[in-house]
Amino acid sequence: MAELGRAALVVTLGLCLYAVVAGSYAAARRRRRLAGSARNALIAAFGSTLVAAGVLAAGFLRSDFSLTYVANHSNRTLGGVYKLSAFWGGQEGSLLLWLLILTGYAALAVWVNRNRARDLVVWVTPVLAGIAVCFSFLLVVVASPFAVQAAPLDGAGLNPSLQNPYMMAHPPFLYLGYVGLAVPFAFAMGALLSGRTDERWIVATRRWTLIAWTALGIGQLLGAHWAYVEVGWGGYYAWDPVENAALMPFLAATAFLHSVMIQEKRGMLKVWNVVLVALAFCLSIFGTFLTRSGVVNSIHSFSESDIGPWFLALIVIAVVFSTTLIIWRLPLLRSTTRLESLVSREAVFLYNNLLLVALCLTILWGVAWPILSEAVRGTSVVVGRPYYDFFLRIFGLPLLLLMGIGPLIAWRRASLRGLGRTFTGPAIVAVVTGIVLLLLGAGSSIPGLIAYTFSAFVLAAIALEFVRGTRARRALSSESWPGAFFSLIGRNRRRYGGYVVHVAIVLLAIGIAGSNSYDSVVEGKLAVGQSLALSGYRVTYQGLTERDTPHAAEVRAHLLVSRNGKSLGTMEAGKNSYKIAGPDPQVSSEVGIRTNYLTGEDLFVIPEQINDDGSVYFRIFVKPLVNLIWLAGIVFLLGSVIALWPDAREQRRLAVRYDEAGSPVRGR
Amino acid sequence: MARKRSPARLVIALSIAAVLAVFLLYTSIAGGGTPSLRPSQLAGRTGTVSLVGRVVGKPTGDSHAGGLRFRLRDVKDPGGKTVPVVYTGDVPDLFATGRDIVIDGKLQRGTFVAAPGSMVTKCPSKYSATKPAAQ
Repeated sequence: MAELGRAALVVTLGLCLYAVVAGSYAAARRRRRLAGSARNALIAAFGSTLVAAGVLAAGFLRSDFSLTYVANHSNRTLGGVYKLSAFWGGQEGSLLLWLLILTGYAALAVWVNRNRARDLVVWVTPVLAGIAVCFSFLLVVVASPFAVQAAPLDGAGLNPSLQNPYMMAHPPFLYLGYVGLAVPFAFAMGALLSGRTDERWIVATRRWTLIAWTALGIGQLLGAHWAYVEVGWGGYYAWDPVENAALMPFLAATAFLHSVMIQEKRGMLKVWNVVLVALAFCLSIFGTFLTRSGVVNSIHSFSESDIGPWFLALIVIAVVFSTTLIIWRLPLLRSTTRLESLVSREAVFLYNNLLLVALCLTILWGVAWPILSEAVRGTSVVVGRPYYDFFLRIFGLPLLLLMGIGPLIAWRRASLRGLGRTFTGPAIVAVVTGIVLLLLGAGSSIPGLIAYTFSAFVLAAIALEFVRGTRARRALSSESWPGAFFSLIGRNRRRYGGYVVHVAIVLLAIGIAGSNSYDSVVEGKLAVGQSLALSGYRVTYQGLTERDTPHAAEVRAHLLVSRNGKSLGTMEAGKNSYKIAGPDPQVSSEVGIRTNYLTGEDLFVIPEQINDDGSVYFRIFVKPLVNLIWLAGIVFLLGSVIALWPDAREQRRLAVRYDEAGSPVRGR
Repeated sequence: MARKRSPARLVIALSIAAVLAVFLLYTSIAGGGTPSLRPSQLAGRTGTVSLVGRVVGKPTGDSHAGGLRFRLRDVKDPGGKTVPVVYTGDVPDLFATGRDIVIDGKLQRGTFVAAPGSMVTKCPSKYSATKPAAQ
């Protein structure tokens, strides 16, 4: 079987190489049949990669420990579903997943657009194939998942912390996001190579960008939730370089999703858009480089491997390639209109973009600074949480405010009178909210208070938009209020889906502000019968129980919880000692979490140390509103699905725009 | 007639200037980060540093009563010099002999006195090319 897997990867490499060479030649010489052949080779590459992935998956399901990779990441007792997630539990498998998703996306993208954007797709094919060549080369030459050995009796197993449903879904979602950014990148480069720098590449890739962006956002939230429930430190985001690696392309893609609307509506920001899409793609590769090179200190144990320099080379190629193309095509990227006023919707979108990119680049600086510092001064420097928190507040809070202003302000030029009429309601809601929260004691954190006030403003602005739209719809169609509401969304899915996503971001902001700025903590060693109290809660330790399972020895501390004298029942927290190969048993804290679904608050119990005398050292948090972060994920997905849902009316509108945009270019 | 410049350029230029100003403000107020050192580089250092090393020998003591004591050496130098560490606060589950950790603190009279709760062990996530080393 290993031979079949290896052969399939060699075939993928060959097909992708052919697609690069034949595709580039065909595009340059306008050889239509050869271009079709290159496209078909790229589609076939997905088939051969699927065979390789199938071989590896079968290796895991059959516990074929003659495959070194399987033996290192699985064992016989591993549950069936985790055997599959062990597929991407290591470097080689995750690279194969990358390649599988990349060739899958590439095949679908070139197939769907084969007739609609032929002059673009002829160049998109070699660009996507070029990226696939890099990954298939790594899998064939540097990090093969099909290395074989004399089969041991059992494998090393998957790390227990990774045996979690969130960790099953987190990596594939991140890859769907990272890799998905290759499609708009390839179309942008295709547009530059072909000289067709009109809006067609944006129209052709809007959904691809949205899918990648949604997957990246959901993937990060799944990872954050995994960290929250599984890692047991009481947080969900540590500003670790590896976490930042996913956040940076997400921010760049967010900026891109907004700025393309300006190009579509007003023909502006053409250079900016290609720069953003190149930045997002390069950052996604940079993220992969960070996680695999060991070049920065991270809490993630990404050992220094041979693969880092290859990714560095890929980043250099992508940056040089895209920069050269952008400079070459600058004459074709001139805006067709100009920014008329600094107080207009397009200006607000521009401010939004600048803030997003500034936040993205400051995070990049924080990630890169230790590397640069070591190179220049010989001493590496750790950039810690205060740095990131500072810039998140400096750039994030104005971004939050702009989310309320953008949807309401007029295109082209807004009058003062119009602004007053539009923003009076949301501004009153925000001020009243701020005053009430101040009276309730929220002034203990000024950034938190500002975040809540701005959130109230944005929610009021979005509600106003929905009310206005529904009222107008009702006046036009005499529908019922609910009918008009759903009809409004159905007829403007992109716009109102976007507003729902904005609601999700507000929920996220409220959840982050609440759980970071207003949380409380107490810790102490408890003997049976003793209690700890905080924020009205009283947690009484009642004793330990032990249980032996096939996978782990489990110890649980039982706790009685009350609030303001009223019993809330019991909860438990403890530690699992996993039975894995090696000299040390692997221990994991199993935190206790009691959620108040009405207020979104969590009582979070970490059993830090279980002593031989039966006493336990607990650390207990109360985290207000933290569950709004997870709710934000659901709302985010809902908004994205609304925006992505096929809309025949929009398709017709786009088709007209597409044809208009596809008129012959003015010079090369 | 001279071509009127777009206000977008002004916005971008002012934004870049504002970002640089904020950045300078931050770095002047909050400093540029904590040096990250290996145990072999620690000699003579007086300020707060972030120490990256591998735990060697058997840890003793209680992190919540008097402090947990252990030694760290360079990750890549099995025979290298070790530094004694005393630590109080939360001990991550993955802390054990042979594991790589990151810890903040100061060298005081030959012992690295760690900041309470600053210990971070390497997360057991993916992509490690080698299995976790065991001493």
